[in-house]
Amino acid sequence: MPEPVPFSSLHRHRQRRDRLATALITAGGVGVLLAVLAIGIFLVTGVLPLFLSDNGPSLTALWQPQANVDGVVEYRWLPESLKGGGIPQVNLLPLVWGTLEAALWALVLAIPLALGAAAHSSLFMSPRLRHRIRPTLELMEAMPSVVLGFIAGLVLGPWVERHLAETFTVIAALPLGILLVAGLRRCLPGAIRHWLSLRWAALWLIPCLAGSVIVALWGASYWENLWFDGDLRAWIEIHLGLDVQARNALILGLAMGFAVMPGIYALAEDALSDVPKELCEGAQAMGATRWQTLTKVMLPVALPGIFSAVMIGAGRAVGETMIVLMASGNTALMSANPLDGLRSLASSIAIELPEAVMGSSHYRLLLLAALALFIFTFVVNTLAEVVRSRLRQRLVRQRSMR
Amino acid sequence: MKIPGHAAATGASRRWQGEGPWAWLSAAAVALSLLMLGALLVLLATRGLGHFWPADLHQLRLADGQRLIGVPVETRQLPDDSGYERRYFTANRDHQGGIWTWVAEDAIEQDRTPNDLIVLQRGRWGAFFGRLVAVVTETERFGGDRAWQALRQRLDHLEELRQQSESLRRDHILPLIRQMERMKEHSRLSEQLTELEQQALTLQRAMTGTVLVLETADGKRFEQPLESVLDAWHPNSMGSVEKLAHWSRGVWQFLSEGPRDANAAGGVWPAIFGTVLMVMLMSLLVTPFGVLAAVYLNEVAHQGRLTRWVRIGVRNLAGVPSIVYGVFGLGVFVYGIGGSLDRLFYADTLPSPTFGTGGLLWASLTLALLTLPVVIVATEEGLARIPLHQREGALALGATHFETLTRVVLPMATPAMLTGVILAVARAAGEVAPLMLVGVAKLAPQVPVDGEFPFLHLERKFMHLGYHIYDAAFHSNDVQAALPLVYATALLLVLVILVLNLTAIFLRHYLRLRHGVPVRR
Repeated sequence: MPEPVPFSSLHRHRQRRDRLATALITAGGVGVLLAVLAIGIFLVTGVLPLFLSDNGPSLTALWQPQANVDGVVEYRWLPESLKGGGIPQVNLLPLVWGTLEAALWALVLAIPLALGAAAHSSLFMSPRLRHRIRPTLELMEAMPSVVLGFIAGLVLGPWVERHLAETFTVIAALPLGILLVAGLRRCLPGAIRHWLSLRWAALWLIPCLAGSVIVALWGASYWENLWFDGDLRAWIEIHLGLDVQARNALILGLAMGFAVMPGIYALAEDALSDVPKELCEGAQAMGATRWQTLTKVMLPVALPGIFSAVMIGAGRAVGETMIVLMASGNTALMSANPLDGLRSLASSIAIELPEAVMGSSHYRLLLLAALALFIFTFVVNTLAEVVRSRLRQRLVRQRSMR
Repeated sequence: MKIPGHAAATGASRRWQGEGPWAWLSAAAVALSLLMLGALLVLLATRGLGHFWPADLHQLRLADGQRLIGVPVETRQLPDDSGYERRYFTANRDHQGGIWTWVAEDAIEQDRTPNDLIVLQRGRWGAFFGRLVAVVTETERFGGDRAWQALRQRLDHLEELRQQSESLRRDHILPLIRQMERMKEHSRLSEQLTELEQQALTLQRAMTGTVLVLETADGKRFEQPLESVLDAWHPNSMGSVEKLAHWSRGVWQFLSEGPRDANAAGGVWPAIFGTVLMVMLMSLLVTPFGVLAAVYLNEVAHQGRLTRWVRIGVRNLAGVPSIVYGVFGLGVFVYGIGGSLDRLFYADTLPSPTFGTGGLLWASLTLALLTLPVVIVATEEGLARIPLHQREGALALGATHFETLTRVVLPMATPAMLTGVILAVARAAGEVAPLMLVGVAKLAPQVPVDGEFPFLHLERKFMHLGYHIYDAAFHSNDVQAALPLVYATALLLVLVILVLNLTAIFLRHYLRLRHGVPVRR
């Protein structure tokens, strides 16, 4: 029996509209995903002619040290040499070295800070404070890198160059100061001690930290006079033979660590919070302290998650451009001295690509640098994401089995 | 009751109340992060806003008889530890070459702040510190106490004339010139133009004629034509209310005026405008596509292995360095699409490129691509949060999939989408590296919006707050002189981004409350 006509036409109309909309959404979605793939394809097709043509720099020249005009064999990044017709001195190694060195120093600062913060907020912190800390650190992550680069390159860099001794003293004084405060707290009467609890330590330790910074600044010149004739910088340059630059890897690491730390913190805290509560409670019921619970029970379970957090942080540090551009001095050196400048892949692209002629070897070399960054970060991030989702699935499965 | 094992377990850590030093060090990690964030914000706020405060002028007499007028900026220890030296901002670039003077503290014999010192803000040569001796017009000479009154009056009058002249140029002369460029026949128009230019000349002439007689710290007198003076004040005799008024005027000028002196002075209005316009265009582009992709992934696509991999891929695109997006934008949008557009439609202006060079459109497109993962991830999170029975209910009542989507699912996911877009905007506003490749300009003479058809000029280059920071801090002739403005610009950028992020955080909080879903950490 045929359905009533008006209903049927309306129905068919709706069905058709539904199918059309679904098709459109699918097309849009697939289109977006294709656009994303296009980045990789574009970079690869842009780079390929570099290896296929004969007049560009040879493959080995990109990785092996080359002899320059004076006959000295060195790693050098001199893209101007591509134009002159002489020996092309375009070694990517100094740039890769600079990129990795910068990322390394950033992680040296960010990992202890982020993991310490994650451990503290998932174990000791009062829940009320914890719900505030997370958005605050999200704000820290949102700080524009150009501002961090400006502070590091123009404010902090020159200051550290003049006050090396103070800088090192502050670095050493921070942990010592905290341990001293923790020890002193034990000698206080119970009421104050209760008030200065570990649950709220993240807040009341701030003035203590500021205090130890001030004491360190005040006391630094004392031992600088005592051991280094009042000028640590001259001492380093003369006795250790190291160059001291205003914009160096250490400053860069500080600024980039600041930028990378909140991301690592958020993921690491997620990983720690996903550890089943029963495990921790079991451990504490057996008499373990909370810190022992963390190191012996939670860490082994959450380790893949923490690993992926660090990987994602490393990916961000490797690709960071503005901070490196503004705080590193941009000298393509292969030196392990943390007080020396460096030049990274990303900052080379930012500086040189606007001037490179489209289609030239220099242009393609910079595309190669971009491709290297793309592949590196994509592999690192995918690996981290896979590890993280595996861990999640395992935990969910364990929970459902119980 | 005592548990035997308990005492042994806590014995070692009794000194630390059961938790050990590491617990305190981990607490210090949080505290240190907060301290660094706070220090950064305080530094930006004090240096950025402090610059506009009219600081007292100090008049110094040194041991060697030299006199100078300046504002102390910083104090440093002398290299040989024999004392301290202070850096003064002494302005007067036209008279003493530089604008900074280092003075050893021991060498200062006398340090006073007399009330009659004035500051002039000038169009050329920057600021002037010194004394006003007289104001000389064509007919009269105002000396002594009347000089300051006369100067203020003349300055107000001058400001009026300046505004008239500016509006004449902007609203009448420039449109006429553009019109003449387009039309073949312009004898009538050129008559009009001559007339307008005559008017402008009359205005120009009305501005000239008055001369200030000024005295520098060392008693040298010289004449300064009034028309190049922008503002004048005498900080030492101002009360705090007056100073506050002056301060707010300074902040307002910073926000509303264009840059001067190769970005080292003046305001950032074109940069604010460019940033906002670019971000708006970008969100127009990114919102539909981001939502579409998220709806596809979450509602339409078969939830299999492939979708999971695609999801991981999208999520990780957020981790691809922004400079790589910039390279992509330059290679594909600017050189690829822009170059083809030029060959097809703008062949008569080649080889000078129209779309084949960085511009507003390409910058917005590149940043839209860059922020796409942010919108997709946030929207997907919102979609996944909507309970399945809502959809089932709609379907059971006879709605098609499309109707369920538009009437039930999307309205519920709106706050999530909004969060995503706000986060994308915050990210785009702070991103500089890709813009350096696809269209930001050090100094854009024309803003991309004007009264000329098609009103919005997508091919023009634009100024950007973040790039302004980089440029003023690294490419200006005197970094120290540009530094206060860089601080102010950085503060502005950080404030914009903080406000955007806070909005996103509150929206997300509200979203969680509304759906009654426990907060997922």
